[in-house]
Amino acid sequence: MLRRTFLKSGIAAGALLAAPALVGRARAADGITLYGVKSMSGGFASYGKFAEMGSQMAVKDYGDLLGAPVSYTTIDTEGNAGKAVRKVQEAIQQNGAKFFNGCTLSSSALAVGKEVNQAGGVFVTPAGADELTGSECNGGTFRWSVPTYGAINETVRPLIAEMPNAKRWYTITPQYVFGEALLENAKAIFAEKGIEHVGNSYHSLQEQEFSGYLTNAMAQSPDVLLLLNFGGQSSNALRQAVNFGLKNQMTILLAWSAGLDQFKELGPDVIEGVYLGAQYWHQVDTPMNRELVEKVRAAHGMNPSYPLAADYIGTKIILDAIKAAGTTDGAAVRKALAGMTYEGPTGTETVRAADHQVIKDYYLLKGKAASAMKDEDDLAGIVSSGRSFPEGDQIVCKMA
Amino acid sequence: MANVYVFQVLNGLGLGMIYFLISVGLTIIFGLLNFVNFAHGAFFLLGSYLCYTTVAWTGNFWLSLIAGPLVVGALAWVAERVLIVRVYHLPHTFHILITLGIALIIQESAIMIWGPVGKSVPVPELLQGVVRFGNFAYPQYRLFLIVFSAVIGLLLWLLLERTKFGALVRAGSENPEQVALLGTNIFRLFSLTFALGVALAGVAGVLSAPLRGAHPFIGTEVLGLAFVVVVIGGMGSFSGALVGGLLVGLVQSLMTSIWPQGASLMIYGAMAAVILLRPYGLFGRA
Amino acid sequence: MADARSMTPAPAAAATAPAAGPSLLRGITLLTVAAVIVLPLVLPSTTLAAEILIFAMAALACNLLLGYTGLLSFGQGIFFGGGAYVASLLMIHLGAGLFTALVGAMVFGAAVAAVVGALAIRRTGIYFVMLTLAFSQMAYFVAYTLSDWTGGDNGLLDVPRPPVAIAGATLVDLSDPAVYYAFVAVLFVAVFVAARRIIHSPFGSTLVAIRENEGRAAALGYDTRQFKILAFSLSGAITGLAGALYAMLLNFAPLSNIELVMSEHILIMTIIGGTGSLFGSILGAAGIVLLGDLLSAVWPRWMMLLGIVLIGVVIFMRGGLWGGVESLYDTIRARRAHRRTAP
Repeated sequence: MLRRTFLKSGIAAGALLAAPALVGRARAADGITLYGVKSMSGGFASYGKFAEMGSQMAVKDYGDLLGAPVSYTTIDTEGNAGKAVRKVQEAIQQNGAKFFNGCTLSSSALAVGKEVNQAGGVFVTPAGADELTGSECNGGTFRWSVPTYGAINETVRPLIAEMPNAKRWYTITPQYVFGEALLENAKAIFAEKGIEHVGNSYHSLQEQEFSGYLTNAMAQSPDVLLLLNFGGQSSNALRQAVNFGLKNQMTILLAWSAGLDQFKELGPDVIEGVYLGAQYWHQVDTPMNRELVEKVRAAHGMNPSYPLAADYIGTKIILDAIKAAGTTDGAAVRKALAGMTYEGPTGTETVRAADHQVIKDYYLLKGKAASAMKDEDDLAGIVSSGRSFPEGDQIVCKMA
Repeated sequence: MANVYVFQVLNGLGLGMIYFLISVGLTIIFGLLNFVNFAHGAFFLLGSYLCYTTVAWTGNFWLSLIAGPLVVGALAWVAERVLIVRVYHLPHTFHILITLGIALIIQESAIMIWGPVGKSVPVPELLQGVVRFGNFAYPQYRLFLIVFSAVIGLLLWLLLERTKFGALVRAGSENPEQVALLGTNIFRLFSLTFALGVALAGVAGVLSAPLRGAHPFIGTEVLGLAFVVVVIGGMGSFSGALVGGLLVGLVQSLMTSIWPQGASLMIYGAMAAVILLRPYGLFGRA
Repeated sequence: MADARSMTPAPAAAATAPAAGPSLLRGITLLTVAAVIVLPLVLPSTTLAAEILIFAMAALACNLLLGYTGLLSFGQGIFFGGGAYVASLLMIHLGAGLFTALVGAMVFGAAVAAVVGALAIRRTGIYFVMLTLAFSQMAYFVAYTLSDWTGGDNGLLDVPRPPVAIAGATLVDLSDPAVYYAFVAVLFVAVFVAARRIIHSPFGSTLVAIRENEGRAAALGYDTRQFKILAFSLSGAITGLAGALYAMLLNFAPLSNIELVMSEHILIMTIIGGTGSLFGSILGAAGIVLLGDLLSAVWPRWMMLLGIVLIGVVIFMRGGLWGGVESLYDTIRARRAHRRTAP
């Protein structure tokens, strides 16, 4: 009996342990390694794929840094915040990783930011949660994307200016922190501008069927329907709103769109005439963006989308900061990055030292008709752009 | 506001008929085969993508309504012959496991073929308009969905109640050995029923593509809803799927005007309550 | 048609029949200790090893229900996520120490599991499964709605990892990942030994009897309801503990802990590892976590392979990985015996 057990132990232990040893990962021990935290598999693969292209391209283009080539390692979040945090911990402990870029999901970004901060590293993310440069800000976390405050101010205000007679607005909001933040910012503008907020529908984070909410909106016959959800939810809300013929009855504004990928998915039939807020648009006319578009077209035969551009620049500014600091010391790189001004895709961008928020443009686009499109990606035109950020006392972040 | 509720009822009906289509296949398969198909949502997803591809190639939505379910049904038939036939005699655990495996393979293949970003399908030109009632509007396409689902439901009912195939299916769900003794190839009957049930998920997938688009991760959500409908109506019951679907659709629509965040909680709460109070659903037989 | 009560295929059940005797019992425990020691040495990191042990603990708890009592529960995520939240909240808001937090998570897990179990076992077969699924979805919505407490979609951040302390005196600081792994490992072995004790006790035999034939167990005078509820509480307590340890590992309790997908993953680990063998749960957890960890870096569509593995297990290896190890052993032994008897 004992022999049986021991033999068994041997086989089982062997089977259990051989696998990872065989597939053991080799990582560059010296030189600078940048870690891209991307949702390659799992529910957010649509972002991860393009974000990964962006980071890879930024590293490849950079050439030598401090006298050695930069290497790049992907960390797949498997679309799960827990996995993301654990793998980042592993990279920090095993490889002394210090420089991270990525995280689409707010939950991953917040938790990864904390880990990287604790390890004295630097993390640049395009995630949406205001807490990143607000109540949960820290020395190691930097955010490229404009917060909800800017997204609302740069879409709702210009639209009010363009349509002074549109006095009745209806909102559809996902009920969680991000949606609430967008709604609060919108309400403040409504109050200031004398807009009548004729109603709001909250929906849950799982909702994909919007006929009920659209019917509620129709009942109030608003002039403008403001959609405050994002991703798949905003796609379905928009698609179904068009189905219900709402485009003929009112103006629709989607304040936080995902940009090109989403517009391509929806097609001109849906987005024609719809106002769309965006962090990035490939037609933005800045020197750096022209260069980026050319590079991406040459390398991948496509136009850069928001996740690609965001992680390209997010990766590049980390490398720039290392260069400026002249060292890979985390504290020195943080210092170099905070307050840095550089040429970004949206123009001259600045990393604000007070809360590590990148100060950059946000865009209001308007969907084009199929007949007006010059090429298949010419789905929208820029209506206006600008910068709005909480200033002074409004900055929530208390950097330790 | 009373007006809004009238329209929410209409919305609920439209939604409910889609839910009926999604779940009726699941319930037929459970009824005859006592088989729990966790890949049902994945086959739905395949239907949506096939709709996208057919429309992209031919520009004809109606063609996809034929091609989509046929392809999905054929794939299901193969899967049944090759894999599922081996596990009928095993406990439900293995039904769940093997269909979860199939679902994962379908989902990942969809990403490989169509990419991780979702796809849209335009509403067929014929039905792009809306029917107006004062402030309100109701899309023609959704009206068509209600009617079309009702027709499918009626045909299905005729098939099950008025044909030899239906009689065998019904007899088979009561007592498979008896039917086999009568000289019917019970395994062929099983394969056909499985393919039919899954093809219905394909029909639902095609029909909802213009409303929801095609997205690789829609399967899980659809599966959850189908389970709720089937459990509330009674597993294996045809009329249960209809009433369950309509009930869930109505509750979901009315809740959007009352307590939207609670809609899902309500639906799953109702599912638990039904199992506890009326274990075989509203229409199920013990 | 087979009933959901008889969940375990025969060969796997035989391996753990009480008749196997005390030496096997000691052997398996030894094997577990060996695995726990070797894991961090061969894996790329101790955090990965800790993740595997934590999920092994959750799978083991699931196994108590599925393998030994015949209850297929889609509700394990409720206890896992719940344990993570309760431990975190105790530490964040009440400044609770390590053991208070862990015990709190276990008590909460046990209590919730008792309620879920008491309701769910009123039905059998697929209806039982659907009930646990409904409860799982409801728990998710509760966690998401109580965002003031749980952090909602953002997750609960800044979960501390307090030291092992007695009467305020710090004995072991757990902030080092290797030390934390050792702590998790000790708890895991303790849970493993306790679970084996329970399985081989009269209580455990009764559970197996219920799994094999509930009617007969009831006829013998056992209150099968109470036994099942107890099994649920036990499973809930262990799963809650695993959830708490996971939150301390990550310093973070994400909402995904309590999603249906988590329940599904725990179930898959359990079945892949092999129901009816507690050591199988370690194999299952290690297999699934490593599959994701190693393959996802190379091939984003790795879940396709997971799907194939699931199908493969159902068709070829119903006893799971542990069953596979056993039949391999049997083949080798048969060949040896053959060689010995051959002239």
